[in-house]
Amino acid sequence: MAVQSDSGGKDDVKTQFVTREGTYRLMTLSEYSRPNRVGYTSGSGSSHVRVSLVSLPPGPGGGTPGSDGQGSDDRICFNHGKELYVYVYRGIKKAADLTKPVDKKMYKGTNPTCHDFNTITMTLDSVSLVIGFSTGQIQLIDPIKKELSKLYNEEFFCLIFILPTIVFSTRWVIGAEGSSINEFAFSPCGTNLAVVSQDGFLRVFHYDTMELIGRARSYFGGFLCVCWSPDGKYVVVGGEDDLVTVWSFNERRVVARGQGHRSWVSVVAFDPYVVSFTDEQAEETEEDKKSESVQCYRLGSVSQDTQLCLWDLTEDVLRPPVRARASAHLSPNSQTFSPNGVIGMKVAPKAAKTNKIGHKHAELNSNASGEPSGAKQKTKVNNVSTLNISVGKAKEETSGSLGVNSLTQRLAGFSFGERRSEHRRNFSLTKPADQKTSASNSVALRGKSAGAQSDSYDPLKLIGTPSCPRFDECPVLEPLVCKKIAHERLTALLFRSEYFVTACADGCVNTWARPARAHNGEARPQRRFERIDLVD
Amino acid sequence: MSICQDLGLNFQQRMGANISQLERDIGSEQFPPNEHYFGLVNFGNTCYSNSVLQALYFCRPFREKVLEYKAKNKRTKETLLTCLADLFYSIATQKKKVGSIAPKKFIARLRKEKEEFDNYMQQDAHEFLNFLINHINEIILAERNQSTLKLQKNVSGESVTCNGTLPHSSEPTWVHEIFQGTLTSETRCLNCETVSSKDEHFFDLQVDVGQNTSITHCLKCFSDTETLCNDNKFKCDNCSSYQEAQKRMRVKKLPLILALHLKRFKYMEQYNRHIKVSHRVVFPLELRLFNTSDDAVNPDRLYDLVAVVVHCGSGPNRGHYISIVKSHGFWLLFDDDMVDKIDASAIEDFYGLTSDIQKSSETGYILFYQSRDASC
Repeated sequence: MAVQSDSGGKDDVKTQFVTREGTYRLMTLSEYSRPNRVGYTSGSGSSHVRVSLVSLPPGPGGGTPGSDGQGSDDRICFNHGKELYVYVYRGIKKAADLTKPVDKKMYKGTNPTCHDFNTITMTLDSVSLVIGFSTGQIQLIDPIKKELSKLYNEEFFCLIFILPTIVFSTRWVIGAEGSSINEFAFSPCGTNLAVVSQDGFLRVFHYDTMELIGRARSYFGGFLCVCWSPDGKYVVVGGEDDLVTVWSFNERRVVARGQGHRSWVSVVAFDPYVVSFTDEQAEETEEDKKSESVQCYRLGSVSQDTQLCLWDLTEDVLRPPVRARASAHLSPNSQTFSPNGVIGMKVAPKAAKTNKIGHKHAELNSNASGEPSGAKQKTKVNNVSTLNISVGKAKEETSGSLGVNSLTQRLAGFSFGERRSEHRRNFSLTKPADQKTSASNSVALRGKSAGAQSDSYDPLKLIGTPSCPRFDECPVLEPLVCKKIAHERLTALLFRSEYFVTACADGCVNTWARPARAHNGEARPQRRFERIDLVD
Repeated sequence: MSICQDLGLNFQQRMGANISQLERDIGSEQFPPNEHYFGLVNFGNTCYSNSVLQALYFCRPFREKVLEYKAKNKRTKETLLTCLADLFYSIATQKKKVGSIAPKKFIARLRKEKEEFDNYMQQDAHEFLNFLINHINEIILAERNQSTLKLQKNVSGESVTCNGTLPHSSEPTWVHEIFQGTLTSETRCLNCETVSSKDEHFFDLQVDVGQNTSITHCLKCFSDTETLCNDNKFKCDNCSSYQEAQKRMRVKKLPLILALHLKRFKYMEQYNRHIKVSHRVVFPLELRLFNTSDDAVNPDRLYDLVAVVVHCGSGPNRGHYISIVKSHGFWLLFDDDMVDKIDASAIEDFYGLTSDIQKSSETGYILFYQSRDASC
């Protein structure tokens, strides 16, 4: 790889890219950043640029969007360095107006690192915005009314994390002391909590009982980000191994790894608007749709490599047939791997007609490219004709945040002070949780090391188990697209029905329009997503 | 222009305050027993040596073998290895826990051993590491041969020499056991499709760096398939002629300590000199290799980052070297005679720059990853 230090790579930043559903385009006029941005600001220390978006409800008089004169009911919030901005977000239709921020804040001695709008209590002219800081404080403001401003957690340091619609003060001690939690996410049904941490573990808990349901270990290094599939069946994590790791909730195992990023994966997110069903099922009536299973998930990831990757998680990868697994080249010392111990062997009747969407799936021979022996078997079928890609044109508040209602109920009952005392002070997972899991699900964590508990978190012992398969034991996915879309490390990725939003470490928030769905107002697939059945 | 200033006066002043600060930072109860954190005095641009020596000192298997060598070889003639052993021994047996020490004898010996280092110029830390490891290995081999000769002389009166039991020069030395890995290069002739493979040993891997990448990715690129064509054709034994071929190098034997050299000094024709490539290359605290060969013995060996030699400055012949090392769970920064405790999160300061605007940078240059199964 010839790398010229002065080639800069400025030219190869993409402003559009094509997938099977069409062309995604960067909306260059919809770039949000600090007003009067001056050239290059030294980026060090300001890498945690996050984005929050909110759609305010119509006013009491049934006010239509734009009736407030600002042109949109959407608000965008992002942080950069010591600063935080709230703007009217004008989507892909109108150019960003950076001259009139709704609110802007500058902090001294601390950096905002995360933030979120409260979508439960918001009205057209009032919304709560909660902001977390690098030094541990939490601030609650109302960027529209500007009368609310409260500061919490001033006296002591405590880990605080904020995720879409959830504010959560953690009092659990998870994993080794001092191993920081990088992100967590509630399942769409609100029952389960997935936590990823610097010690390289994904831990999934039943939130109310605090039971450890399952876990996965990175191939190496910390896990940095986590998200749930819209139906709650899969948890996807990204981390310092440059991989996107797919963990099945039902099977309690790592089912696939995606390799395509050139550096650490900073955000993973499912695109709930691009989901594929098989043709026949698509013909079914609305009512039946609830029971049908998703054939293909669309996943997005962004990384410090300045690239965006889109992945298709297809049924055939998620449920590999017995053959493919059994024929894996196993390294001699992988006695832990037995084909009949692998779960998901029930070949779903649907799987037969599932189409393989053009990527190397179940490619267990990890070294396929340039294999001199030529003995590789590439299964590369490009047949998408029977796939009905439905780009959901749904109302933001319903399908845009599948299952958010149940999630946000939690927020409604949440208050900063009280929760604390309710929580057990030191909840250590290392003890009871493990036994519980191995008992409750024979499939999960088939740790032969179940005996010694200290061992059960030893990555040297976990390699080759369902929590951390060897690299050649696990299907390796290739990205559908992998595009350099920024000059700086990417730090945020949000999917919306008509666009998606990315942000990078230099404080630029970009909007990408989805492919135009139909020409001349022709009838487009009016399919709206009911929520895909949630896993309890 | 050199940033590397060894102002004797300056360091005397800095020393007193700093050292006690380190002990305070670590805390007397947390201070690991039998561990010493000693800075190394700079003798005029010798930070290239100081930084590498500190990194090696905190590669535990290496330190232990050097100290073992010191214990076994009481009175031998002075070599670079005996000087190194004396230096390590003197650090390890200090009464104080922190301080600084002058590696005078070692530097004097180094200047005698190799002409290139016999001056007051800034040297390349990787060249020094390479020289040191190879040189130590040769010393061990030479001493082994001598003892073999002696033994053979002793038994030469007998009719049969017990060759089989004598250490043979092909047997690996402890330097081999610690640092040596094996690369297998597979070449496929595009004419006859014959695959030939060749193994070669390495003490470190030298990888190209790309902007906004990870060391993982750089290592993968290292093993990318390369096509040999034009002037660079492959002499195929089967075809008995030069042919186009595809070549790929992958790791067959993973070393105990994996030393990774980031090729940050690139020769630029337009400037007619080497330019520093400050690209941001992240390196995780934990590493596995993706570029192992099919017949690799232990392909999922798990490594921990134990030391990093950092280059500070704008070019190969200017600037400064420091090192960061992990010891007993915390990280220390060695800057010649200065030692500071740093937070693990400060390591990201040494990944590099995402922009070319700034000319000078502090970037990871040599990474030392130690296999986890070796640490216990």
